[in-house]
Order: sequence, then C-alpha cells, then structure tokens
Amino acid sequence: MNIELKTLCEIRDIRGEAGNFQVEIVQNPRYIDESKCIACGACAEKCPKKVKDPYNMGLSQRKSVYVEYAQAVPLKYAIDANTCIYLQKKKCGACKKICPTGAVDFDQKPETVMLNVGSVILSPGFAPFNPEKFDNYQYAKYPNVVTSLEFERILSASGPTMGHVSRISDHQSPKKIAWFQCVGSRDMNKCDHSYCSSVCCMYAIKEAVIAKEHEGDSLDCAIFFMDMRTHGKEFERFYDSARNKHGIRFIRSRVHTITQIPETDDLEVRYITEAGDLKTEVFNMIVLSIGMETSPEVVSLAKRLGIALTPGNFCETSSFEPVSTSRAGVYVSGSFQGPKDIPQAVIDSSAAASACGEILSAARNTLTKVPEIVPETDIAGERPRIGVFVCRCGINIAGVVDVPSVAEYAKTLPFVEFTSDNLYSCSQDNQDSITQLIKEKNLNRIVVAACTPKTHEPLFQETLISAGLNKYLFEMANIRNHDSWVHKSTPELATQKAKDLVRSAVAKVALTQPLKEAELQVNQTALVIGGGISGMAAAGSLARQGYHTHIVEKSAQLGGQALNLFQTAKGERIQEKLSELIASVAQNSRIQVHLNTTLGQVNGFVGNFKTTLSTTGSEQVVEHGIAVIATGASPHVPTEYDYGKDRRIITSLELDKKLMEKDESLKSLAAAVFIQCVGSREPERLYCSRVCCTHSIDNALELKEKNPDMNVYILYRDIRTYGEREYLYKKAREKGVIFIRYSLDNKPQVVRNNGKLVVKVTDHILGRPMELETELITLATAIIPNRDEKLASFFKVPLNADGFFVERHAKLGPSEFATDGVFLCGTAHYPKPIDESIVQGKAAASRAVTLLARENIHTSGTIAEVVPTVCSSCGVCVSICPYSAPSFIEATARFNPGKAQINPVLCKGCGLCVASCRSGAIRLKGFDNDQIFAQIFALNEAV
Amino acid sequence: MTEFEPKIVSFLCNWCSYGAADLAGVGRMEYPSNIRVIRIPCTGRMSPKFFLSALSEGADAVWVSG
Repeated sequence: MNIELKTLCEIRDIRGEAGNFQVEIVQNPRYIDESKCIACGACAEKCPKKVKDPYNMGLSQRKSVYVEYAQAVPLKYAIDANTCIYLQKKKCGACKKICPTGAVDFDQKPETVMLNVGSVILSPGFAPFNPEKFDNYQYAKYPNVVTSLEFERILSASGPTMGHVSRISDHQSPKKIAWFQCVGSRDMNKCDHSYCSSVCCMYAIKEAVIAKEHEGDSLDCAIFFMDMRTHGKEFERFYDSARNKHGIRFIRSRVHTITQIPETDDLEVRYITEAGDLKTEVFNMIVLSIGMETSPEVVSLAKRLGIALTPGNFCETSSFEPVSTSRAGVYVSGSFQGPKDIPQAVIDSSAAASACGEILSAARNTLTKVPEIVPETDIAGERPRIGVFVCRCGINIAGVVDVPSVAEYAKTLPFVEFTSDNLYSCSQDNQDSITQLIKEKNLNRIVVAACTPKTHEPLFQETLISAGLNKYLFEMANIRNHDSWVHKSTPELATQKAKDLVRSAVAKVALTQPLKEAELQVNQTALVIGGGISGMAAAGSLARQGYHTHIVEKSAQLGGQALNLFQTAKGERIQEKLSELIASVAQNSRIQVHLNTTLGQVNGFVGNFKTTLSTTGSEQVVEHGIAVIATGASPHVPTEYDYGKDRRIITSLELDKKLMEKDESLKSLAAAVFIQCVGSREPERLYCSRVCCTHSIDNALELKEKNPDMNVYILYRDIRTYGEREYLYKKAREKGVIFIRYSLDNKPQVVRNNGKLVVKVTDHILGRPMELETELITLATAIIPNRDEKLASFFKVPLNADGFFVERHAKLGPSEFATDGVFLCGTAHYPKPIDESIVQGKAAASRAVTLLARENIHTSGTIAEVVPTVCSSCGVCVSICPYSAPSFIEATARFNPGKAQINPVLCKGCGLCVASCRSGAIRLKGFDNDQIFAQIFALNEAV
Repeated sequence: MTEFEPKIVSFLCNWCSYGAADLAGVGRMEYPSNIRVIRIPCTGRMSPKFFLSALSEGADAVWVSG
C-alpha cells in the first residue's frame, strides 16, 4: 500500500539535495493499461509475432505482447514496441480485439514524471559480461558453448527445456560438460575487467551439482578455474561435497584453445595441467562462467547524477559508509556497489533503506496510507449462509470449464444460500457487488471459485472486511491455475474437477469461525548485544532513526576486534575512523552504553523483552522491543607452525599491531613469509575466513612499501581477493610479492635451526621443495565463532555446526532470525571485513525498524492454540517449533501449570506442532482437523 | 473395460508446491486431471490421519508435496 511501483522508467535527472530531491523520470509506454490488465494472457495467445525470449536468454520464443516471467511484479502484460506489428506497421491489432478488459492502448506516449523525494537508492544491478568478443572461447561460433546464464535457464523447470539438460546444436543430453571460470573477470588482456566477479565460482559449482542431480551420476562435470573462491557462508562445505560427494572435477588451468569436432558438434579443449603437461579432452558442452559488469547506461546515469565510480565502474563508497554514494542523500545497494551475491545484495538493500530512514526519520509516517476500519458483524451462533461466486475470468476459465453448471451445482451444496457467475470476480464493480450481496442476502461465509489464493485471497478478504465480515470466513477454489489452464483438452473432466474443488471449499468454509488478530504494543527501545563495529553501526542507525538504544559490551571499551586492525582494503586507517564512530556513539543521547556488562536473563518475546544486565556485581532490568545480536567472533590461536615458540612467528593481528605502532624493525627485514588458511578450510573447520587473503596481501604491500628490497612471500591455497579487492592482488604481484601455492596435504613447514628461521614449501610451478629463509612469519589465522550457546538459548535462536548464528534465510533473510524481533549482524553471522560488518549492522537496524515503526503488531488469525485439558506436557511442541512459539506455563501458575501454551505473536501457523502433538491437544485455527477432514470427505464423491 | 484412472488426493504446502502448481497453470503445462488439491499451511501440518482418511474415502493415492 505504501510502495508505488513505476515500471519502464528511466531517470533523466535528480536535482536538489538530501531531504528534498526533484527526480525527473521518463516513463515509457507499456501500451497496456495497468489498471485494466488482469494478466489473463489472451493477448499473448492471439499475438502472431514471435520473438526471442530475453528472459530465457534467447533460447526460446515469446510473443511481442508478453509478461517477462510467470512471477513478474506487477503481473501485467507489456507490448514490445520494437517488434509489435501494429506499432511498427499499423497493421494487426489482434491483442486489442481480443483483450476482454480493453486494456490495450496503442496511443500511450512516453511521459515525463516529476517526483519529490527525500532520498534516493540506486540499485540498477549488473549486466552479464558478453563473451562474443572472445574468439578463444568461440561463443559466437559454436552452438554448444553457452554462458552460465543460458545454462541457468536450461536447468530451470520453467526454462526452455523444462529443466532437462540438453545442448543447443542437437538437443541431446550431454555426457560431459566443462565450466570455464573467470570469463570477463580477472582479465586484463581482453576485457579490461581486472576485478573478480565474486559469484561465479560458487554458481558454477551449484550448476554442476544441479546438472548432476537432473541427469544422474553418469554426467561428467569439470570446472576449469584459477582460484576457487568459495568465501561465503557454508560455501566451502558445498565445494567440499561437490568434490568428494558429487565427484565434480576441479581442474586448475586456463584453457587456451577450443575446437569443434565437425561431425558431432563436440568440443575439444586443450589445456596445460598443473604438472605442466599439455592435455586434450573432448566435452559435449561448455559453459562460460561470465562475470558482472556495470552497463554503459548505468555508467552514463552515474555521470548525469554526479555519482563517483571506481576503476571498475562500480559505485564508489567508503568502508565506513558502505551504502553512501559520493552525493549526499543518494544511496546504493546491490551489484552496482561491487560484484556480490544475493545475501550481500539483500544486506545492502536493508542498509540503504536504513540510511534513508536516518535522514528522513523526522518525516516518518507523514505520508503513510492506512486502511479504513469497518466494524465487524458478530456472526456467533448463526447458521452458515454461504455465498459462492464462480469466476469466468473472461475465457480463461469459461473457455474450458462450464462455469454456469458449476454455479448451478454449488446451489445444491449444504448451507449455500446464493451463487452467481461473474465475468471477472476481481474487478472493482464485482467487489462492490459482492459487498452488496453479503449485506443483502445476509451471507456469513464466502467461497470464490476463481484463480489462486496466493495472489487474490487478500483482495477478496478486503471485500469481506468492507462488508463487515471477518476476513477468515473465506475460501477460494482454484479452478483456473489448477484446473482450466492445465486441463484444456479435457473440458468435461475439468468441469467435474471444478465442482469437486468448489464442494471441498464449501465443506471447509462451513466449519470456519471468525478469527481474531491479537494486537500487541511494541516497546520502542532497542537492545544491541556487542559493542564492536557492527553493533555500533546498528545502534547508531537505530538511534538516528529515533529509537532509544542500549549497547551491551562485555569488555571495558567499545570497538571490538576492530581495535586490533590496521587498515582496510581501500587503505583507510581503521583506528581514526573507529575513534570517530566510538565518539559518535558516546555522544548520541539516545544511546546508552553498558560496558563490562553481560546478559543474566532474558524473558519475553518480540515487542516485549525483559533482559537482566549484570554489570560487575550489580543488576539492572532493561525492557526492549527488539534485540540485535552483534557479539562478533575471535581470532584463532594457532598451535601449528611453531606459533608461540619464537617471537618472529606472529599472527596477522600481531603484525597489524606492529604496523600501528610503526615498529621500525619491520623496515630492516630481509624477508617475510605469510602463511594463509591457518585454521581455516581444515576438515575440523570447514569454512573460509573470508578476510585473510586481502589482509595478508595488504600487509605484504605495506612491508614492500617500507622496504622494496624485502623478499615477501605469501603461501596460499587459493587467493580469495573477491570483487575489487583483486586489484590489491594484482598490485602485490607487480610489486614483486611472491605467491606460492600449497595444498592441504602438503603444508609448509617451519624449521628453526641455530637461530635461523626457514619455511619449507613445495613450489607449485616447479614442483620442487624450496627453503625460504625469513625473519618474520605471519600466520593468517582463522576467525573463530564464539559458539555462545547461552545467548542462543536466551533468544531461542540456532547455531550452525561451526558455531555461527543461523539467520532466518541464507539468501533472503541474512540479518534476522526466524524468531521474531531478534536480529543479527557482523562476524557473529560469518567472518567478514569492516565494510560488510557495518553494512550488516545497518541492515539489522533496518529490519528492526520495520517492527519498531509499526508500534503495534497484529498476530495472524491462522495460528495454533493448545487445549490445556488435553495437553500431556510432553514438550514435543516446545522442542519442534522453528519459531520458538510454544512454551510451558510455569509450574506455579494458577491455571494449567506445566501445560504447553503457544505465543500467538511468534506462531507462524505452520502446523508442525499440531501434527506432532501426541495428545491431539493443539488446534490450528483456519486449518483445523475438522476442516481438513471435511475437505477430504467432500472429495469422497470425486475419488 | 475402461482404463484404470487413479484418484489422487494431494496435500500441497502453501509456500512452495501450491505455488508451483499455480505456476504450472501460468505456463499452461497440461497434465491429467486426476488430482484434487488440498492446500495446507506447511507439510509440517500433515498428519498420518489425513493419509488414512483419504485412502479410506476411496483415494488410490495420496501425494504430499512441500
């Protein structure tokens, strides 16, 4: 209700300043009136013009009038003016003739729209790299060389091959597929994209695993790569299982020649193995793992708006303001800020929303629209009086199903008082007529037999509300998506099915009772646990958006692990910026800092937490509406490589300390060795610590800067300088830092002999053991989660196998928990550098504000409820619920002590507890046993 | 003798399979009309009693998807 979607728009200009921008937009014509289009698809069916479907990467065809993909929002058709016969030649117009609602409008013209807004978020996304210009990959020439995005569509059940893996030239199933990594990334010779696109390693592995799942184990998948970059959460484990469980081959080599074998259209590739031998192998299909780039249109938009770009044409941001562009009030999110994967883009978007909220908080709710409230009629004790409305949906349903006979049949069902058939049930005039009929005929239950409740239930429920009926007294029979659209060639059977579905819906709705949505006040105070950089970012953002915030920090000072860090990948001095951040937190009157403090007890739930804080002996209870967990992580203390036995063997953080202290001894070193993956990517710790490659390279460059003659070696397994961090890797090689790769089964060895410090390692190019004499060994140690089980149990949130907290959804809910009102940021979620910690701190604040800003929250009506007299207190519901909604009533309570109760605020209505309850003591309102049984029994005639 | 037509009662999770069945419709993918869908909020809601009841009411098969 409060989001206005403007599609087909281009931004011409943004004038003004933060808080008051004038945005000039050109809205291009859709040639379809959005307010009239009901997405029935009749136009596309009639349209004679077939064109390549860009959504399927041109692998299939669509019509000139189209909806981009099945789940498109808004679900409205559009006409492609470049190919439409009418718009090109003034002939045809078939769509206009067939459209049942008169939505086609060929006279639409581009319109200039002015918007007055307070802030702007740029999220224009990326363009996939086009490999046509790469003659060595022969993409343009050989049909069986496809891009990874084309392969995504081939794998998709809704794609051109319905998920069946087949190649382009002959539609045969391939037996051998190769992926080539870094196409359009990390390449200076051809495309000038020297950055890493961050996502391709992981998506190539994913595509290979899915291809094998679709086609069976006999499919051979090989991935040709330079460095395997699986630095995301749970990614290393996925890489490991791809190798060891799925048998995907990983070949560290860059292929230089592909030739097509004329008879078979197979592809012969020639490459050099790690041992240096030339090898030839034949594949049936090749997938190019193409990278991301900023499109030329976006580059010119950035120039028009005065937004500074990086060397790679991404939006320039600083590590401490990671969503702020160079223009005040204009923010950025997603891959325009740098190549990134979905969770990171989602975190960005929340953070950008938070940044907007910070500058606009004074105007909060001044333009918000709220629905009008109609008093509800009490139907308690009334006999069901059901109204059944059967929709024709133009010809979408009526073209297959005999709609009048379904409506006629519905009349014969128990409790049905009224039936009718409508051309379009969802049209506004029909909504008005349903409202009228409810009142006139005194209907107290409604069934609409039409499309799917997934899209239309809310609309009809609004109609019930406006007629004064409880919105849960409603049921839909899906006779379009599940019937007429899929049983076109058997209209009689489809009609029979429609009757069965209506009968089932009527049987269910007759047993439906009005449901209440409890209202709950949200305490407007926030609690942030952890005073590190992401905790402070979250608290700062919450406070600037107007919420009183407590920060709980167990140590004696704010700053967390950032206190130990020297500089960011972008060269910003961390301590200066950190002091500014600490000062801004200390000065903010809405933030209350509790140092030397831990959590003693947590009671309550979303909106109403009561937490006991223990500060050196004294206790204090804080009431808060939401909590942010920002407890961070710790550095691994190594036991290998003789750490602790020689002061010349130190960790990355100890080197940072020397750099911060401007230790003069660093200048005179003749040699320095960095050893990567110390404690990371090991069988017992199967994750990548994400920051160490960049950190070591940055410090190696710092040492080279101090003394260009110093021999600096980095011993690594894969270099993971993702995104534009790759420039540092390139620079390090240019400056003469020597990179030597080692493998997990042949780790470097540290030897101390007569005061000499030597690292023995096998060189990956020469294949020979080498001895590096050095005066400093820096161990890039893992980031270790705190595995805080006490905190996890306080807030009823889960930990993963490694000990990091588990977010609500790995991709779409990275900064919140499944348990309502509890949010997550920083290294407690997963190892991450400063910019990503800050951005997630802001993201957690943003997610929290979506709750706080509502002040009151409504529970759903369809939730579980315990019948205490039947409950046997076994506790299955308490242990099984993913949302921590059930709990035991206290043993000392006056009523029902020891019995289970379900918190209506936390319950999501999934019904897991209902099905699991051994005593049958839990009911799921709206999906109660009697209702589902009634549906099953009603199908008795059908089955 | 007429060919055997199985009668299938399906319980589909609102969040995934029910939506997938909707999309099959949007994609106009034709399939036999032998199934009757009951929407449930999550397959976690599925109780053994529902299976047994559907089978005893004459269903030849019960399909749970989520």
